[in-house]
Amino acid sequence: MSLFKLENIRKSFALGPVQVEVLKGVNLEVEAGELVSIMGTSGCGKSTLMNVIGFLDQPTSGRYLLEGRETSSLTDEELSTIRNKKIGFVFQQFNLLSRLTALENVCLPLIYRGLNEREQHRIAREMLAQVGMDERAGHKPTELSGGQQQRVAIARALAGSPSIILADEPTGALDTRVGQDIMNLFLELNSDKNITTILITHDPNIAAQCRRVVRMKDGKVAQSADQARGAP
Amino acid sequence: MMLKASLREAARSLAAAKQRSLLALLGIVIGIGSVIALVSMGTMAQRETLRQFMEMGTDVISIQEEQRREDRAGGAPPGFSLEDVLEMPARLASVRSVAPYASAFGELRKEGQRQSIPILGVTEGFLDMNKLALAEGRFISDLDVLMSHAVVGGNLAERLVKQGIIAGVGEDIYFDDRKLTVVGVLRPAAMGAMRPYECNEGLMLPISTVLRLSPQNTVRTVMARLEPGVTSSQAADEIRQYFSSLPRAGQVRITSPEQIIEHMERQSRMFTLLLGAIGSISLIVGGVGVMNVMLVSVSERKREIGIRRALGAQKKDIQWQFLIESVLLSLMGGFLGIVLGVGASFLIARYSQWQFEIIHGALVLGVGVSMAVGIFFGYYPARQAAALNPIQALRAE
Ligand SMILES: Nc1ncnc2c1ncn2[C@@H]1O[C@H](COP(=O)(O)OP(=O)(O)OP(=O)(O)O)[C@@H](O)[C@H]1O
Ligand SMILES: [Mg+2]
Repeated sequence: MSLFKLENIRKSFALGPVQVEVLKGVNLEVEAGELVSIMGTSGCGKSTLMNVIGFLDQPTSGRYLLEGRETSSLTDEELSTIRNKKIGFVFQQFNLLSRLTALENVCLPLIYRGLNEREQHRIAREMLAQVGMDERAGHKPTELSGGQQQRVAIARALAGSPSIILADEPTGALDTRVGQDIMNLFLELNSDKNITTILITHDPNIAAQCRRVVRMKDGKVAQSADQARGAP
Repeated sequence: MMLKASLREAARSLAAAKQRSLLALLGIVIGIGSVIALVSMGTMAQRETLRQFMEMGTDVISIQEEQRREDRAGGAPPGFSLEDVLEMPARLASVRSVAPYASAFGELRKEGQRQSIPILGVTEGFLDMNKLALAEGRFISDLDVLMSHAVVGGNLAERLVKQGIIAGVGEDIYFDDRKLTVVGVLRPAAMGAMRPYECNEGLMLPISTVLRLSPQNTVRTVMARLEPGVTSSQAADEIRQYFSSLPRAGQVRITSPEQIIEHMERQSRMFTLLLGAIGSISLIVGGVGVMNVMLVSVSERKREIGIRRALGAQKKDIQWQFLIESVLLSLMGGFLGIVLGVGASFLIARYSQWQFEIIHGALVLGVGVSMAVGIFFGYYPARQAAALNPIQALRAE
């Protein structure tokens, strides 16, 4: 059984009086433990697709099976719980809360699980150590470099031990070298911890390091190919 | 989310917008402050009156001459005749003792300083009638007829000592064109409608002396202590009859402790109403301030809300977060208001010579009301925050 399966997913937005269809029947199946990159021209619907996969948004039509279960009739509460337990988001703009320290940012998903503070801190420290940021646990995001912020954001995504990490252009705001460091972290997490990872990228070098590349075109999956993993 | 963590979060985000939060609180601070001050004042005034009756007993009534229409045009009323008054205990079954008094004003002089001071012409029985206590010396005696002896009221004495005008018993003071010898000083007494205020704030002289000072000075009030078991209304009937049977018949107005207490209660009901009105208006203003801050806060923190939603916060988690923040904000206003209100009532108590007390009920009211304001006016912004679409929230800024 695949980890998740999208069947003929459509999504349209109302732009004033007109309905704009952004996803025009996406079919995609991902197995547990895969590392998939999604590429495509700007505006082709990659982020929209990722929001649907991450249960931040609901498709207009189509079937979305997560671990074999139909998800179209879930309530907002259930969707929140799925996001909390099964999904880890990593954003291009890091999206850390600037008032909180690195450690507290990593604790956020755990707060919504009702874990006590000691437990939260224990897990958060462990995650920060995993991304090499344990020394900076007490720092605010503004005191960290872009690469460091993205590491903290990845630790936050990992904290809830999700089934899927969804990363929307995680290296897009970083220079090539730091971007590669982050990519190495994803590769390491995928191979060592077997964490299913889907990352959107415009960078062919990043995409080339993923076993599978999905190319989107005009709201559809144009091509989905496995490739031998090689050095950039 | 756990309460402790939520409270810390809320405190932190309020601290991040200190200035705005403080300004928004002004309405609540003033609202709660005035409610606390007014409740405390009302309660302190009531307790002062009750304390007076505790000291004096409730078997004392006050009799005043009813001013007649024809007198009103022709200057001062004639006043009671001292003999008629002093005969009352002997002639009336309901009256045990009487203490008539005549009040006037005069100027106290000392080394070029002048101050206007109320005086009271009294009989020996005045001390016991009002259950006053001497700090030193003796009270006016019925043997002091026409003598220039004076007893100084409790608060006045404190003031005069501070100003260096008197040091104690045996000294002379210059009052109008006379030299008075201080024979006694009273202790401050609780004030409230029955005791004449001069027994704290003025000089007491023999009644004969005061009546001789000026033809304007007349006996206009008589205090009477009743025989045990006699009700105020029984006594009132007998006294009215007595005064109308005199050769120089007159109408009298009788004030009983019951009337004073009833009046006080009526006043306090009015007070409560007024208080409710002032309090609710300023609290509405304050609440709208809180709501405004929270709405701004929600729209500034859309991205944060989006992030939290992406990480698994449910709508109700977001709603709680903002509700707790607004309650905390109003509670802070409530605490500042309590400090302001207690401070104000302390000053008012000092000024009015009441015994200062912190009225606990008022504090509970202050905390309760500010919390309610926080919940009521924070609900809508919190709802809005919770209802935000996660994706649109994430895209904000
Ligand atoms: N909430 C929305 N309302 C209306 N239109 C939207 C909304 N979200 C996305 N769109 C439109 O859908 C299209 C696809 O957007 P999307 O963000 O998925 O593109 P993308 O592939 O991620 O592009 P990029 O590579 O630039 O990030 C765009 O034309 C965008 O304007
Ligand atoms: Mg995008």
